[in-house]
Amino acid sequence: MIRREPRLYYRVFVWSGTLRLFHWTLAFSTFILILTGIYIHYPPITTKWAEFKPQYIMATLRYWHFCAGYFFLCALAVRFYLFFAGNQYERPMDFLPINRRNLRSLRHNIRFYLYLTDEHECRMGHTVLAGTIYFILFICGVVMGLTGLYLLYPEAPTIARLGHELFGTPQQARLIHYLLNWFFIFFIMVHLYIAIWNDFKAPDAIISGAFSGSKMMPADLECPVEELKKIPFEK
Amino acid sequence: MSSKDHINDFAGGGVSRRTFLKGCALAAAALGLSPDVVPKMVEAAMSPKRPPVVWLHFQECTGCSEALLRAARPDIATLILDLISLDYHETLMAAAGKQAEENLHDAITKNAGKFICVVEGGIPTKDGGIYCKIGGRTAVEILDEVASKAKTVIAIGTCGAFGGVQAAKPNPTGAVGVQDLVKGKPVINIPGCPPNPENFLATVVQILTYGRPPELDELSRPKFAYGRKIHDHCERRPHFDEGRFVERFGDPGHKKGYCLYKVGCKGPVTYSNCSVERFCNIGAWPVGAGHGCIGCTEPHFWDTMMPIYKHLPGIYIPVGGGIREQAEEIGKVAVGGAAAVIAAHAAVGIGKKLFSIKCTSKEKEEEK
Repeated sequence: MIRREPRLYYRVFVWSGTLRLFHWTLAFSTFILILTGIYIHYPPITTKWAEFKPQYIMATLRYWHFCAGYFFLCALAVRFYLFFAGNQYERPMDFLPINRRNLRSLRHNIRFYLYLTDEHECRMGHTVLAGTIYFILFICGVVMGLTGLYLLYPEAPTIARLGHELFGTPQQARLIHYLLNWFFIFFIMVHLYIAIWNDFKAPDAIISGAFSGSKMMPADLECPVEELKKIPFEK
Repeated sequence: MSSKDHINDFAGGGVSRRTFLKGCALAAAALGLSPDVVPKMVEAAMSPKRPPVVWLHFQECTGCSEALLRAARPDIATLILDLISLDYHETLMAAAGKQAEENLHDAITKNAGKFICVVEGGIPTKDGGIYCKIGGRTAVEILDEVASKAKTVIAIGTCGAFGGVQAAKPNPTGAVGVQDLVKGKPVINIPGCPPNPENFLATVVQILTYGRPPELDELSRPKFAYGRKIHDHCERRPHFDEGRFVERFGDPGHKKGYCLYKVGCKGPVTYSNCSVERFCNIGAWPVGAGHGCIGCTEPHFWDTMMPIYKHLPGIYIPVGGGIREQAEEIGKVAVGGAAAVIAAHAAVGIGKKLFSIKCTSKEKEEEK
């Protein structure tokens, strides 16, 4: 089979270093949070009633969970800052379905993922579908952070009052914290699959972009940002 | 009469001076006050002007009164004869019927603005409050009348504080706690099922001594008693940190006193001093006896802390006639579903590609 693709690509710089730092901090902290969190939720039998030696396993994993939690919160804070101070691809206006251009793009994305069209939309920033999901994930992350802080510092007056107003008793916060954990697992599965799938289907090399910050844009495409197209690669 | 003589007089009245001072010192300790205030407390507790208390019973099981009868620091005799003047208590008073109603009326008119109103039990509000009536009047009416004249209102027990078991879903009688009805007055909640009587007594002694309630948390519970989680002072906490858990009741871990976290102990999410104060003056308490905490000091624990022997509650799913499922199962189903969808999506992609290759090769053959 001959695949007809644009012959010439420009490598354009899209994702700032700060955004990539956010991405990988969030990725690694989420990974640790999920693993330790599942242990904390349902600790498997590790002692066999024998108590050979002190393990301190729950305390240790809880400590890792809290450390990772702080990295997670810092990552969210950075992303929040980038909503306002990031480059144009990192701001919500670019990727939320709030204008006609983005709604059209969203419709196209869904058709593309359902194999209804083979035409890939070469877009500088996030696709609108991805951007919307990422935004929902950000909100879930904030809820995760707040319920986590409520469970960690139930005696701190401000956090206790806020937690009580928002979530009720710590037991209710714990349930929300646990259910959203499954959303994060779900997201990671789909996110990895879609990233790999896109690498097969589309030429813009998004996996590489997660490290380098660049995207490959076809030279003969009517790029929405003409100026960037003319600059091959510049940080 | 000097203070010392007073104490000796007092000691002749059935309670030894030593016991009485011990009671005051323990109350001070429970409140986290310095020993310097003990004499002041003794003075306040022995003042001839004992504060009148009106004790109301609504939708309840009298368990809170029963618990109070078993208090020993100080005991109930000291409480009602020397510390407070218990003017109305349906279970303890001798009067009945018309006499009892008169007692209540006298107590609240004579001491208007001065007495402490203690409420035990939830208050039904549905259908005009007809589900709890005493002497032909509804609980709402009685509470309105008594609480409006009280100086302070203390809701004892989870029913009085948050509605309790009768407020559990679907709450057929529309039961609520005192704080939902009484406004513009300090309401102190002493939740628990039953609450530790010492927390109640310490609160009363604090009001006697300083004339104001102790520091309260956002649910109006005294912080000295409900300021920390049970888990933080639990005797089984080292087993939690070590990762040693009871897997089921009666297993070797249970016999060795391991942590009850996996059999549904709600200690990590429940604020109370049970693990410190304990009950019945013999150091007994549920977790010590091998049963997990059920979270009875938290609002609506009948709804949010259930099931008792599970870590997290079931979740209502509004499909298939409404089924309750464990959070865990939901997570597994969601992840399994996601995996299936991903596999199907990938299969469609590969299938489509194979199909298109076939088509193009056919076309090529046809072209030849």
